[in-house]
Amino acid sequence: MPANAGIGLRAPHHLHVLSESPDVSWFEAHSENYFAEGGSHVECLSRIRARYPLSLHGVGLSLGSTDPLNREHLANLKRVIARFEPTLVSEHLSWSSAGGRFANDLLPLPYTEEALRHVGSRIAQVQDALGRQILLENVSSYLQFSASTMSEWEFVAGAAAESGCGILLDLNNVYVAAHNHQFDSREYLEGIPPHIVQEFHLAGFSRIDLDGHALLVDTHGTPVCDAVWDLYRAALRRFGNVPTLIEWDTDLPDFDVLQAEARKADSLRGALHALAA
Amino acid sequence: MPSLRELQIHVMDALLGAELAPVAELIASPRAGAERRFGVYASTVQGNFRDALQSTYPAVRRLVGEDYFRQTAREFQRRHPSQSGDLLHCGQGFPNFLAQLHPDDGFTYLADVARLEWLIQESLLAAEHAPLNLASLARVPPAAYDGLHFELHPTLRLFESRYPALAIWEVNVGSDAEPPTIDLRSGGDLVAIARHRLQLQFHRLSAGEHCFLGAFARGECFSAAVDCGVEGDAAFDASAALQRFVAAEAVVAFTSTVKT
Repeated sequence: MPANAGIGLRAPHHLHVLSESPDVSWFEAHSENYFAEGGSHVECLSRIRARYPLSLHGVGLSLGSTDPLNREHLANLKRVIARFEPTLVSEHLSWSSAGGRFANDLLPLPYTEEALRHVGSRIAQVQDALGRQILLENVSSYLQFSASTMSEWEFVAGAAAESGCGILLDLNNVYVAAHNHQFDSREYLEGIPPHIVQEFHLAGFSRIDLDGHALLVDTHGTPVCDAVWDLYRAALRRFGNVPTLIEWDTDLPDFDVLQAEARKADSLRGALHALAA
Repeated sequence: MPSLRELQIHVMDALLGAELAPVAELIASPRAGAERRFGVYASTVQGNFRDALQSTYPAVRRLVGEDYFRQTAREFQRRHPSQSGDLLHCGQGFPNFLAQLHPDDGFTYLADVARLEWLIQESLLAAEHAPLNLASLARVPPAAYDGLHFELHPTLRLFESRYPALAIWEVNVGSDAEPPTIDLRSGGDLVAIARHRLQLQFHRLSAGEHCFLGAFARGECFSAAVDCGVEGDAAFDASAALQRFVAAEAVVAFTSTVKT
């Protein structure tokens, strides 16, 4: 994947990307949005893929669920990977289904030995079925389970060690979780072994009031905040030149706003390297 | 401590019921904020489901209005939660759900508009297919025609309603202007929905044509489909119909069971 920042591809931007061929290093698309056999979305992505490197990012596999792995979903994922030939494939370290019912949201796991063994074996199953390594993304969270016996970063690093997957480190999610659960985001970064991180995500969040304190909610509807840019600098120092993606999902702005965010990530990375040289 | 399985089942129950109390013990976050924290998840679970339903059923949403749609989506999700990691499927049972809500109260047409919208979504997402190979059809000896099995375009869906559902749909999607009034007794629909390249198309059908294509959809051979067409409409002209649907790329392939 190119070193310059990529942009999360959303359907309202399809036609702009196709008609203007904007200067973007790579795109990342949500796998499930292209599960259809045909139609305009898959047609657009095929044409965009012909011009740009691509990463596929899943939101619905429910890796951490104790339900049986959804074979149909996995088969669809395999089909879109064969069709669009992405450079990277990623999923979330979360669960979203139980008893056959789906929340269609990324729910946090309790950070226990049992959950770690479970999710580790599920990731391994998925990697076997797909015949490739996947990246696992840390999620934002708003609550913690009392059953947890380890920190989130121990759990993330442990899941990668158990399964051999790579890590997609979402720095906005680290920041949001650290704020919401009052831990140190730098300690989180220190807890992740440098060699396993293969992608960064950057995005914006919103705040809701919680008895006089702010609860941060990962809405992906605002620019990346200064504190997350700082965390990005720290991450670049620790993990090196990792492909970075700008994500924006709600209140989607014009495409050039996303390009400006990507350029900001690039210039920040450039400045850091100039300093190091 | 509950097992991971127990925790997930309890949390899912609580999320779908939007009630924290049954799982409060499982949550470590400060008790005072737990309600709000849990609420972020519960509202996302409802919101994502409702958004998906709304994008499948824009005309139904417009016909019933924001509040009623929100309430109906909530009730539908409670009874028929999503069964897939891909929300495109979550609305499949919605037309039947509406039919049960409005069995005979002046709103029975809503379920038909919803059925039409579901078929439209299916059509929009189905695979592409090349047009029928006319040269190979020309090589079939006339005597073998009866045994041919014609295949419909993967995007083709047949729709039938005793209401003018397509006209209702058409005036309720797209423009924000106040839609004109449509008389529910102004006649029913027999329609083939298909996607041509990326464009949605509606072919209005005679009763004979509807039966004819229906037979193809069930995998019946040409002679059986002709019988169905005539049953639907005594004046049915099979060869004109076949020409129409091949030209429209609604019929895209054929297989012969007879060895030639």
